[in-house]
Amino acid sequence: MQMQEFLNALFARAKSEGIEACEAYIAKQDEFEASVNEGEIIGYTVSAGMGLGFRALIDGKMGYASTQVLDEASIELLVEGVKSNATLIESADEQFIFAGSNSYPKCDSYNPALDELSAADKLSMVKKLELATIAVDERIARTEDCIIMSGSSMVRIVNSLGLDVSHEDNLLCMAVAPIAQQKEQLNSGFEYLVVRDAADMNIDRLAQDAAQIALDGLGAKPVASGDYAIVLHNSAATSLLSVFAGVFSADSAQRGLSQLRGKEGERIAAECVTLMDDPFHPKGQSGAPFDAEGVACYEKKLIDKGTLTTLLHNLKTAKKQGLEKSTANAAKASYASPVGIAPSNFYFEPGSEPLNDLLKRADGGLLITDVQGLHAGANGISGDFSLSAKGFLIEDGAKGRAVNQITISGNFYQLLRDIQALGNDLRFSFPGVSCVGSPSLLIAGLSVAGE
Amino acid sequence: MVSIHALERALACALDQGGDFAEFFIEDTVSRSIALVDGTVDTATTSRKHGAGLRIYDGLNSLYVHTNDTSPDGLMKLAKQAASAVGNADAQARVIALQESRAANLHPILQLPGTMDGARRSQLVHDAYRVAKAYSPEISQVRSGISDSNTHVLIANSDGLCVCDDRTYTRMRVEAVATKGTESQTGAEAPGAMMGYELFESRVDVEQMARMAAEQAVTMLHADFCPAGQMPVVIGGGFGGVIFHEACGHSLEATAVAFGNSEFAGKLGQRIASDVVSAVDDGTLPNEWGSLNIDDEGTPTTRLVLIEDGILKNFMIDRLNGKRMGMPVTGSARRQDYTFAPTSRMRNTFILPGSSTDEEIIRTMGDGLFAKKMGGGSVNTVTSEFNFAVSEGYLVRDGKITCPVRGATLIGKGAEVLMRIDRVGQEMSMGQGMCGSLSGSIPTNVGQPTIRVSSLTVGGR
Repeated sequence: MQMQEFLNALFARAKSEGIEACEAYIAKQDEFEASVNEGEIIGYTVSAGMGLGFRALIDGKMGYASTQVLDEASIELLVEGVKSNATLIESADEQFIFAGSNSYPKCDSYNPALDELSAADKLSMVKKLELATIAVDERIARTEDCIIMSGSSMVRIVNSLGLDVSHEDNLLCMAVAPIAQQKEQLNSGFEYLVVRDAADMNIDRLAQDAAQIALDGLGAKPVASGDYAIVLHNSAATSLLSVFAGVFSADSAQRGLSQLRGKEGERIAAECVTLMDDPFHPKGQSGAPFDAEGVACYEKKLIDKGTLTTLLHNLKTAKKQGLEKSTANAAKASYASPVGIAPSNFYFEPGSEPLNDLLKRADGGLLITDVQGLHAGANGISGDFSLSAKGFLIEDGAKGRAVNQITISGNFYQLLRDIQALGNDLRFSFPGVSCVGSPSLLIAGLSVAGE
Repeated sequence: MVSIHALERALACALDQGGDFAEFFIEDTVSRSIALVDGTVDTATTSRKHGAGLRIYDGLNSLYVHTNDTSPDGLMKLAKQAASAVGNADAQARVIALQESRAANLHPILQLPGTMDGARRSQLVHDAYRVAKAYSPEISQVRSGISDSNTHVLIANSDGLCVCDDRTYTRMRVEAVATKGTESQTGAEAPGAMMGYELFESRVDVEQMARMAAEQAVTMLHADFCPAGQMPVVIGGGFGGVIFHEACGHSLEATAVAFGNSEFAGKLGQRIASDVVSAVDDGTLPNEWGSLNIDDEGTPTTRLVLIEDGILKNFMIDRLNGKRMGMPVTGSARRQDYTFAPTSRMRNTFILPGSSTDEEIIRTMGDGLFAKKMGGGSVNTVTSEFNFAVSEGYLVRDGKITCPVRGATLIGKGAEVLMRIDRVGQEMSMGQGMCGSLSGSIPTNVGQPTIRVSSLTVGGR
């Protein structure tokens, strides 16, 4: 069935079953991906995907079901699914299907020119990236991965209260992981670039940056265990903030799964720290005019000069806490997921100092450029983290010898208080449901395990 | 599902403009989940995943396309799209004759998830909540949930293979949070199997798993931070096998080996581990979480010896990388779903039992760390640097287990650690995980007896 025919049949069937309020969340994605190894195209993927999430409010309980195929069997599965799932729900939290905001902001995240780039253009770009990377230095032996991806996606929310909103975006991404070799020693690097205008895809620069990361890490060895002053490079700081973004969810706080419960209005971070959620930031790429419940998005400060101003809310958590409105942070991990909470473009506001000035203030400490093991070594509830890390000693106030095979350990809530300065080098992560950003951070101290 | 004739036509069309091999993977999955938090069921979902993926390779160049439209027209459209990307106008027309078969079923399912009523699933998550909450007044929150899925797959290729298979998985998770003042610690258990709801009669005691999660959270709440440095480390059985999975397993997958991106490339027949280490990757174990009937290229699954007495015996090899390496497939090709091309992955991967007793292993270690339970980890296969988190650890002083410690991380290089395993215990057990790599997230078992590593870097503070 075509989409509109399917939606009409689905809503009619739901109504005939006595379902008053229901909603379809439709996500479509077109993707292209190619990877190259020694000039050969070793991966080439083209896909067109669609998913439809359906939810219905039945006796005050929200039931969810979803499908990827628009046929009669799916209508049966969706309607029966929401009904049987709603009867399992016991939570007394008030649930909402939303009729729509008065107006929606403009959020320009679709560039039609990007779709005109042909497959042949993209193949020649990815081959060029591999050649350029290997050409940077004779110690670059090969690449482990060299990829180009482009994708466009569309989200539409349609409900029985008359809401019908949609949003499109597209992106082009290239990434390369060079392997540097010096005698017996190997080191791998990784860098990527995500753009919405092909003219911004600077392949030579990307190759240079990725190769430099692989080369700089050659000869790395651990440092002695102990406490060190730390400069978290923007890429590592972004990774850390991503992992702990969940502590700003009002849903987590209301369930006692974040220590920020009831801390609104209190000082939770150093005075130099301001944390933003801005769906319209020009460098962030996870913005949209409406959230997963159809509420109009807007810019907000979560931490203002060290003080927690608000947590991230959807309609349910805002109502539960007696707030006037949602912060428009309802989010779904995919069309099939229930509505949860996530930031949009979420970042520490940058300071004024370049990275080199931060290094001068941390002489004898460590510049951490990469952290690994985030999915297991970071506890979102306690805030504790203990992560495998790479970076450099800070010698004579500047980047010195390479360091690997160490761990850095600390606590995220304490780290917010221990930030002494923020660099001027704001960088955003790879965009997904959220896009997290941070400049480099000067931290008073973290515990390091090494030799 | 789609007719044989339509598949034959679409496969022929896929190779219309060149290519050595074409393969369809068609999937229909219905999955359900239920989750409880704060003592009440909070979410319940039903999802249907449906689509087809088509892979073509031409020499070592491969391409992959996928769609939700599995009608005969949809498959032809997909085939044409793929063929045009191969784009060799001089190619010879191929005739495909498919031989229909059904995978031999090694893993009988007794209580299919679809037949389960909601009341029983609701009861199970409530049981877990009740027991974990009652364990201690310090248990401040409990989350429990069950997910299950039924997948039907059909794999058809230009060599004439046309095989279908059904896969059923059920998994339960309990997470307990213990809180004292501003301190919180968690404990979790997440057993699963290639089974239906007989899982809860034959393998999983919900009350016991809830108590274990709660006990871990409370124990860690009263633990000090782990000291940092190099020390001997004893790693408990079961999910402790994640060390082998990360430190060695990923580096034995053809995805790394075929491109020389593994420390173990070119080392078949050589010593890569101490002589107390033997390890296998086994897809045939009945109803295990990482088991299969056939892999995602339609090859029957196997039991594969990876390491025997420290000597490297085999790599895990998929069809395309097998071509690249000039070696046969091992039934190890896997993918998350139809949106991914398959590649070599682990199944149930574990270190075989050795000759030491757990008591002797601890008694003779001197001072060090006993990592009773492990969290997850990751590895860089190029440098073999791995890291993983200890979710429940104890300090050992003079061969005696003393106090619990929290926040420990183990890091090292796979090749070095394998040589430093100096004791392997007698009783092997397994734990369940989701392994993420090139072809997506797939169910795998890790396993081992208690083992000892003579020296590892332990992160703590």
